[in-house]
Amino acid sequence: MELSDADLIARVLADDDQHAFGELVRRHQSTVRGLLRQLTRTDVSLADDLAQETFIRAYKNIRSFRSEARFSTWLYRIAYNRFREDARKRKELVGVDEELLQTEHDPQTVDPCLRHDLMHALNLLPLHERTAVVLCCQNGLSHDEAARVLDIPLGTVKTNVLRGREKLKRTLAAWGPN
Amino acid sequence: MNPMIDDETLDRQLREAAPYIDDDGFTARVMARLPAARREPRWLRATILLGLATLGSGIAYVLSGGFIREGLIQLSNFPIWLLLVFAFGCGLVVGAFAVIFAIRKTPEVRDFTRLPF
Repeated sequence: MELSDADLIARVLADDDQHAFGELVRRHQSTVRGLLRQLTRTDVSLADDLAQETFIRAYKNIRSFRSEARFSTWLYRIAYNRFREDARKRKELVGVDEELLQTEHDPQTVDPCLRHDLMHALNLLPLHERTAVVLCCQNGLSHDEAARVLDIPLGTVKTNVLRGREKLKRTLAAWGPN
Repeated sequence: MNPMIDDETLDRQLREAAPYIDDDGFTARVMARLPAARREPRWLRATILLGLATLGSGIAYVLSGGFIREGLIQLSNFPIWLLLVFAFGCGLVVGAFAVIFAIRKTPEVRDFTRLPF
């Protein structure tokens, strides 16, 4: 019988059960690393370093986890904050995204594969739109959950998702509906 | 130009485009960097509780001015069967609390709906 996230968290809280925490890491590593790879624009090494620090920070602060939110949402929030701290240090948060977005790309000439084009188009979005799209459209978070992860107003999340989607659709228009 | 894809299709394609990332030793690396499990607080907590209980009992005995000692002497005059019944009742109450506590601390038992029967 597979224990739920809540059960595993209860074990970590009650007995400092590191095996239970290991199971939580195994369950969520793919989505957390995936999110960070999107945020870091597929810098796999940096994304994995940040993901490791995300889980270590989660372990150290697990007592502050409130069970009304999903554990994955809480992890995304830590991951996003860790990414922002790192980006601030690297001074990558300012300006670059908008310039990249203005560049014209023809998806069919960039790569014949839709998946590749989609990820490429996603990487061209400004950080705030990319993050909102990855959280809501790719990872299935509600707008409300994404607002909590990103610590921004709900309306801003909705706007970012809407704009991000529109830009992706425009970029991918050549593929047409499936 | 082709018509734009709809939201649902876009979301589905985004989900499908995000591959599952194999663990590939990631969890082991995280586990190796975790701080050591905290064991001391449980020891400390038990010691404090035991110490406080002993101290409280001692203070109560001193403050009672012999009342507790007299009570114990009177208790020894009770018939043995009554003492046994009293001890059995106390055991039942403590046992019931122990079972409730164990259920609360055991996730597999806490949710009876998920037991495989």
